[in-house]
Amino acid sequence: MVVILLSIFAGGCSMFIIRSYPEVIYNDRQPLISVTYDYGEIEVHLPLVYPRYRPEQIAFQVYSGGDTTFPLISVMQGPLDEIVLFLPHGVLDVEDSTNLIKIMPQDYDFRNFYVPFKGIGAGRIDLPVNAIDFKPLIVQGVVTLAQNDSTLSGVALSVQVFPATLARTKSDENGIFEMGIPGEFMKSPNIELIAGSNLIFKPFRQKLDYSNTKGIYQDVRIGPSKTLEGPIYLTNKKYVHFRENPDVGSDTKFLLDKGESVAVKRMTRGEYFGDIEVLLQDGKLVVFDGWVVKEDLTLMQLENIFSKESNHEPVE
Amino acid sequence: MNPWNRFIICILAVSGSTLHAQIALNVNAIPRQVEVIMDGISIGETPIRNQQIIPGPHNFEIIKDGYAPLTYSLIVNPAKAVNLDFYLNPIYKIKFTTEEEGLTFELNKNHQWSDKKIRLELEAGEHILSVYKKDKVVDEQTILVDEPKQFKYFFKKKLSD
Repeated sequence: MVVILLSIFAGGCSMFIIRSYPEVIYNDRQPLISVTYDYGEIEVHLPLVYPRYRPEQIAFQVYSGGDTTFPLISVMQGPLDEIVLFLPHGVLDVEDSTNLIKIMPQDYDFRNFYVPFKGIGAGRIDLPVNAIDFKPLIVQGVVTLAQNDSTLSGVALSVQVFPATLARTKSDENGIFEMGIPGEFMKSPNIELIAGSNLIFKPFRQKLDYSNTKGIYQDVRIGPSKTLEGPIYLTNKKYVHFRENPDVGSDTKFLLDKGESVAVKRMTRGEYFGDIEVLLQDGKLVVFDGWVVKEDLTLMQLENIFSKESNHEPVE
Repeated sequence: MNPWNRFIICILAVSGSTLHAQIALNVNAIPRQVEVIMDGISIGETPIRNQQIIPGPHNFEIIKDGYAPLTYSLIVNPAKAVNLDFYLNPIYKIKFTTEEEGLTFELNKNHQWSDKKIRLELEAGEHILSVYKKDKVVDEQTILVDEPKQFKYFFKKKLSD
């Protein structure tokens, strides 16, 4: 026992001290790491107004990046004042306004339309107010000169519901015209297409019936037709008497408007005898003959059929 | 370049960087309260909540006494938030002893000693112990370190010997 104590005393505490390796020894074990992403939703708010009526249902489809083949989402719901759509994170084009919401009221009288918008990664998008309204009523056609079927450019056209003018245009270089009027007039029986108010002829008038359609193709044949033979004269004022006989007191068959065509067959010193065309309600043209005072007629010049009051434009 | 142009370019650069969508970074770690260094700058101790970062490559370093340091590179995708959970490997103190004479020990082909008693600091997990006698490998073992402990080595003679 004494020997042991002496040896401890002689050796000091160093005999209990164990050397430590100078550095940590790693085994390069792959640490456990977990990476997860939270993809927030995109919340699209689309306020709607209904200027006239509300359709029973509205379908919404959202497209990304201008691709209208495969919608990201399709929703059908009632006519709410604001539509809220939820989309997953990152599905929209965030660079350009190529994302689209297609709005399809489930009613034939209402128009479908697209709302383009620029996307975001996640968060809320507030779009401007859009109106759910009727489809526009369209009328289109070609303006031709009835005498030779040539197309007429620059002819003034309008759609009217007396006394309002709903739309006006001029025929293009090919004689083609197209006009749209608000869909709320679809039930109106008094819509009228008027063409040629800037021509020397009596303007063309045609009732437009939109009760069963949203688009009407209406060709406009203007001026005297081919069936009128002989030199064509035009009435140069309103209320021109078209009489049965040349003598004073003879019965007046029609009161002609300014610009009506008269195909003159015989002449006396003060009166011309000729044919006029009358358009019946069923669309048929009927020819009547009669007498007109010479001063009320002017020989038709096809070189310039535009009236002096209007801008002169060439005939095609 | 005149100072005014340089100022405008700086403004444009700053405003350009703000056009990137911000992503919330959340970092958890086991153990708690470890310092996180992102792209060379300390962003605090875990748990870290709603640190705003931009999409793209980022480098994370986590250092804590008693644990193996960790570095991790990540390309952060555009998202609302990215959550990182790190589980650090602990370092255990091991007392290594043997009664055998004339042996040299080597861990993981890299760390050598000839002491019969030595204190080691080992990262948790498996380590390969190679035993040499006169420059010849006489034994090789896999040591599993999962707690502080004393490891006593016995030379296992092969049956053929």
